[in-house]
Amino acid sequence: MAAPAGRVPLPRVASDPLPVLERGTPTVALTIDGVRVRVPEGLPLIEAAKLVGVEIPHLCHDQKLEPYGSCRMCLVQIEGRGGFPASCTTKATDGLVVTTRSTALTRLRTNVMDLYLSDHPPDCLTCAANNICPLQDEAADSGIRKISFVGERHESAIDRSNPYFDFDPTKCIVCVKCVRACGEIQGTFALSLSGRGFDTKVIAGDGGPFGGSPCVSCGACVSVCPTGALQEKTIIAAGTPTGSVRTTCSYCGVGCQFDAQTKAGHIINLQPVGQSPVNFGHACVKGRFGWEFVNSPERLTTPLIRGADGQLHHASWEEALDRIEERLNALRAAHGPDALGGISSARGTNEENYLMQKLMRAAVGTNNIDNCARVCHSATVAGMMETFGTGAATNSLSDINLADVLMVVGANVTEAHPVTGSRIRQAVARGARLIVIDPRRIALVDDADVFLQLRPGTNVAVLNGLGHLIVREGWIDKDFIERRTEEYNAYKLTIAKYTPEYVQDISGVPPDALWKAAYLYSHSRASMCLHGLGVSEHKTGSYGVMALANLAMLTGNVGKPGTGINPLRGQNNVQGACDMGALPLTYTTYQKVSDGKVRKRFEEAYGVELPTAPGRKIPEMYEAMLAGQMRALYIVGDDIAQTDPNSAMVEQALRTLDFLVVQDIFLTKTAAMAHVVLPAASYLEKDGTFTNGERRIQRIRKVVDPPGDARADWEIICDVSNRLGYHMHYADPGEVFAEAAALTPLYSGATYARLEGEGLQWPVPNDRHPGTTVMHEKQFPRGKGKFAPHDYEPPGEEPTEAYPFTMITGRGLFQYNCGSMTQRTKLRALEPEDLLEVNPADARRLGIAMDERVALESARGKITIRVLLSDRVAPGQVFTTFHYAETDVNRLLSSSADVLSKCPEYKVSTVNIRRLQP
Amino acid sequence: MSVSSAEAVETASQDQTTPPQPLSAAPRSWAESWPIDTSLPRLYLPNDTTSRAVGAMEVYTELMHRIERALGATPPTTFVGSRGLFFLEPLVEVELPTGERVAYGPMRTSMLTKRNLELILQGRRIAGATLGPLAEHPHLIGQQRLVFGSCGILPPNDLQALRSQGAYGALERALLRSPPEVIDEVVASGLQGRGGAGFPCGLKWRTTAAAAGSPKYIVANGDEGDPGTYADRMLLEGDPHRLIEGMAIAAYAVGATEGYVYIRGEYPAAIASMRTAITQAREAGILGPRMLGSGGPFDLRVAINGGAYICGEETALLESIEGRRGMVRAKPPYPAESGLFRKPTVVNNVLTLASIPWILRNGARAWKKHGTEGSPGTVVLQLGGSLRTPCLIEVPFGLSLREVVSGYGGGTPKGLKLKAVQCGGPLGGLLPPRLLDTPVSFEGLKAAGGLLGHGGIVVYDHRTDMVDLSHHFMEFCAHESCGKCTPCRIGSHRAEELLQKVLDGEGSPEDLDRLRELAHTMTWASLCALGGLAPSPVLSALEHFPREFEARLKRTGGGA
Repeated sequence: MAAPAGRVPLPRVASDPLPVLERGTPTVALTIDGVRVRVPEGLPLIEAAKLVGVEIPHLCHDQKLEPYGSCRMCLVQIEGRGGFPASCTTKATDGLVVTTRSTALTRLRTNVMDLYLSDHPPDCLTCAANNICPLQDEAADSGIRKISFVGERHESAIDRSNPYFDFDPTKCIVCVKCVRACGEIQGTFALSLSGRGFDTKVIAGDGGPFGGSPCVSCGACVSVCPTGALQEKTIIAAGTPTGSVRTTCSYCGVGCQFDAQTKAGHIINLQPVGQSPVNFGHACVKGRFGWEFVNSPERLTTPLIRGADGQLHHASWEEALDRIEERLNALRAAHGPDALGGISSARGTNEENYLMQKLMRAAVGTNNIDNCARVCHSATVAGMMETFGTGAATNSLSDINLADVLMVVGANVTEAHPVTGSRIRQAVARGARLIVIDPRRIALVDDADVFLQLRPGTNVAVLNGLGHLIVREGWIDKDFIERRTEEYNAYKLTIAKYTPEYVQDISGVPPDALWKAAYLYSHSRASMCLHGLGVSEHKTGSYGVMALANLAMLTGNVGKPGTGINPLRGQNNVQGACDMGALPLTYTTYQKVSDGKVRKRFEEAYGVELPTAPGRKIPEMYEAMLAGQMRALYIVGDDIAQTDPNSAMVEQALRTLDFLVVQDIFLTKTAAMAHVVLPAASYLEKDGTFTNGERRIQRIRKVVDPPGDARADWEIICDVSNRLGYHMHYADPGEVFAEAAALTPLYSGATYARLEGEGLQWPVPNDRHPGTTVMHEKQFPRGKGKFAPHDYEPPGEEPTEAYPFTMITGRGLFQYNCGSMTQRTKLRALEPEDLLEVNPADARRLGIAMDERVALESARGKITIRVLLSDRVAPGQVFTTFHYAETDVNRLLSSSADVLSKCPEYKVSTVNIRRLQP
Repeated sequence: MSVSSAEAVETASQDQTTPPQPLSAAPRSWAESWPIDTSLPRLYLPNDTTSRAVGAMEVYTELMHRIERALGATPPTTFVGSRGLFFLEPLVEVELPTGERVAYGPMRTSMLTKRNLELILQGRRIAGATLGPLAEHPHLIGQQRLVFGSCGILPPNDLQALRSQGAYGALERALLRSPPEVIDEVVASGLQGRGGAGFPCGLKWRTTAAAAGSPKYIVANGDEGDPGTYADRMLLEGDPHRLIEGMAIAAYAVGATEGYVYIRGEYPAAIASMRTAITQAREAGILGPRMLGSGGPFDLRVAINGGAYICGEETALLESIEGRRGMVRAKPPYPAESGLFRKPTVVNNVLTLASIPWILRNGARAWKKHGTEGSPGTVVLQLGGSLRTPCLIEVPFGLSLREVVSGYGGGTPKGLKLKAVQCGGPLGGLLPPRLLDTPVSFEGLKAAGGLLGHGGIVVYDHRTDMVDLSHHFMEFCAHESCGKCTPCRIGSHRAEELLQKVLDGEGSPEDLDRLRELAHTMTWASLCALGGLAPSPVLSALEHFPREFEARLKRTGGGA
């Protein structure tokens, strides 16, 4: 892929990626086994050797980890130096003459291997790591033929407590890679060493089983283990995989790359890709392990049609498509095309979203097309459109490594975007400063330099307060403001009243903390803002995003590496679904439907006249349904009945429909209400592309066949279109992508061929363009950046006597959104229910105990839920995840939404807690 | 004596309540109501851990009791550190009106007769324990006490008294010179690290001074773990301000602002003494925002080892201060460039830093007048084992082992024959009598297959079983291995097992070959000196006493 600006990627060798170094890193020339090579100064010799094709034996070295130097297999000889330095801890310097193979080295390596094997079980043939075991490979390479030592061997019971992997300490060689990966890559520090000398061993937590330790099951330890000590249960059960297909994760918007490894047509495991600039070989528990749902017996395998008896019955594709054709045509004829609508899925591919909007516009003839991004970052798009002129992350995830200051606002990154969370922790460990702005004491607060614990819904006040201090103290970037922005004076006027004291009154944030955050953010070479739904999912969500953009412009922290405004996208393809025009007001990449020139271009391409009336956003669709104006809905991969707020209203709206088609992989709550249900392929069963939260277009590839009659969404959409009389024929998703790219300026240089490897970050205006890691370097899409000041407005609901608690909802680590996927995996055991976090002080007052089940009530409804006492929430606030249909927390939420984008206010609603038993 | 420190700690911890008191403070068991008669001569009482271990406190208490009973008052007393002549402890020094101090020792309570008390208070001879002026004692007269010049003479926590005798004078002078000049002086002195590696101290400082990064740190390594060494403890207890002065000079020279004194947990009195001294130095404005009012900011903290020998290795020590498990880091990067909290750090042994004030006061040239070409200055040796007069001595480098062992150490006790000398702790080789002419210097001992280490010299007599001793040292290393690198983690354990097999009479000639091969691997493939030098005692024993091993091998039918 494109070289991130300012850095030079190095040539790659073997399977490990080589480090990306700052441009201008001096190089040195050295000789390795007689071959002269020029490498960046400071590269470990073992990595330098790879460049000349020399693999030096090693067991504890991993390019992803800090050099450690414990195994002593990678010893080399250096001319003019005595002894045998380890090549992992010795850095390349000019003029070194290195020998990696000699009689003396072989003697040492064989003897070290002798020691290893003297405390390792010899039964390779029955080990799950047989043939995929670096220890085995190095033993073979060393030429050892006999173990010299008969002595004590360690033997311990296998720890099977983790649902996804086993730990067999007997096979452990104490290379400590797992411990280092847990700390250095994941940042959890769940593993450590215990005992000394020969009795040194790896322990999880305080020495008990993995299951009860702080381990988050990310699997980083499993990835790096060079023996069978840490092994995935699927490999233990099924043996070594034989095939491998590279693909992209379909959970959050980080876009981790995986090699899906297979055997005899079945998936064995998902192995994170080391070369990926997105996940650098790392993964989270969901991405790495949470794929078993594809094999669930509950998968939809045939179409279903609601019969006269009111029940859903198995049907053939022919029957289902007949029914769809007949009903949609009839309803369109009777009520006009705008009585029909489509909801596309941010979980689906770009190709599918493109086809879905094309279907609605060209085949049905309506702009009533929206996607589930509406309920997450639509406010971000609106806010950034207003200020910068485009609604996507300005920078790249790898820019986290380049920032001096990271400001994380309204995002519980370590749970909702775990791989990015790890990246932030790594950056902090290397010395980056961290500001966390959140109503909850999230895990990242432990790593933070300053934590602004604001009241929910007061982002605008706090961010304006930061602006106030930066202006007042003169910490602004005057040059940037003058050259690159407009409306600064209006901004100054608005923020004038946001003194620290005023901000404290609104938000509860102490002035000292506010000052410290303002100081840090404005006093760095590069400050980078990452925000989540805690900013966007508010009544003033888009104003909050604008307030962030204002701060970035105020301090010149946009348009250069390590800076910018970077929404953390919640779903794998939120970016792409919007890019592809599955939105009521825009075609692909935000080209306005209302722009006649644009429409003409699309009409030419589609060969039909396209509708001009603006389409309805999802909440507007509900209103229209309830008003009887919409009669049919085609939903692809979105369980709105469970996930949209005020779900009783949503259900009611759906019930008014004359015809509902739902296309999904499981019979979700929404699908169960449909007249026709279409069985779709999961992400591991189809081809296409996802665009992640840093605008990186990445391929997904078919690994296995879909179950039964299930088909890929893009194929189904084509069939529906053809039935409606609009011709759609594509040989494969590549053709769909090519068509979409041709109509999409930001994508026009992207092709499947160019997406091989690391993908491409848009804008990719032409087929030579390397993609864009940092946007707005010279100018903003709208020309100058626009300060868009807004005053603080209170959230849609504020605590009352009847509903005295403010409730926040969010995602947990082990579950994902409506849970249709994660709850059909062993992840269910790791997070078996939604829990209500209640501050212990409140619980004491109410007489509520830990684990007690309580009634939670709002003006909309009532649910019951189990209590978790936690000081992660401030007194007066409660928090719960929203993953379980059994909990149905969205029933409590109001329809309050962002004034500009209609993004629902998931983050603030008021509730009351009542004990079930007196 | 070879285990003096361990025994001493036990004794000390028995008669001390926690927290331990610095040795300058009177023990709680002393009656506080004793009237002091200042017309009586002042008594100087060595009160360090070793003195206490041989019962000094009991003798002193009884002495004061009896004087009080006889005279109705007690003389003024000053507690001091030890001079290292442990065979003379418990020791009492009386300051005569002339200012001269005369000593009595080893004192026993049975000697405290009324008549003797009168004689002592007059500085006159008593039977069996009169030593006269200690400075003229044959053990001290030949020594060059440059580093231990105040130890046992001046009260360690009387800052005023110390400063009147020149303490912190070297720091004052250093602050008048530029930091590079100070470093140049240290480089010119040729001072080598006293922890064992012998790296030139000045070059280390120069590296840290030039290294990028802030803050910089000075760390004094007082994790004196080699069995048979106790010099750091003696200095920490008996003259802590000398160390502070050395560290302050180092801080000024390299631009460090913070320092740590890392002391092993088995040294409670040293920890207390050091803490008191740091507080005093802070209160006197020596440490703090401006050293002595004119230097930069520098402050010190004490860090305590939890009991691991490996934490004496500098990188494991740094890990330990950082709050981590004491495990060795790979070098490079060296601590001088990336040390404590990955910042440039000077890690020097206590004795190295304590040598600095003398060098800065008297100049590099004066320092180099002592010692040999390859090992300038003096060396602090701690003699123990099968010796008549175990003691600490500070002598110029270059004396032969024989002079040290037979002269200062007094040779083996009557009827015992010297079998081997081990220099440098459990990682040092065993030298047979024929190598006794080896000069005590870095280069001299190295050439003989020995090690200077931290200057501990342990003598074994003819009763020692060399196989058992080899096994003992390998067991020590296996037990103290940090568990990081394979040759040490597994290798030392396998070596211990092989030696046990030989000890059990089950060994074969192949086992000895295996042992030699394993020793080769440990020597050349280990990550740090613990694993790399652990085979030294075994290899030297195999070389010099092969028959003891062969005699233990299993007898096979074929008569092999």
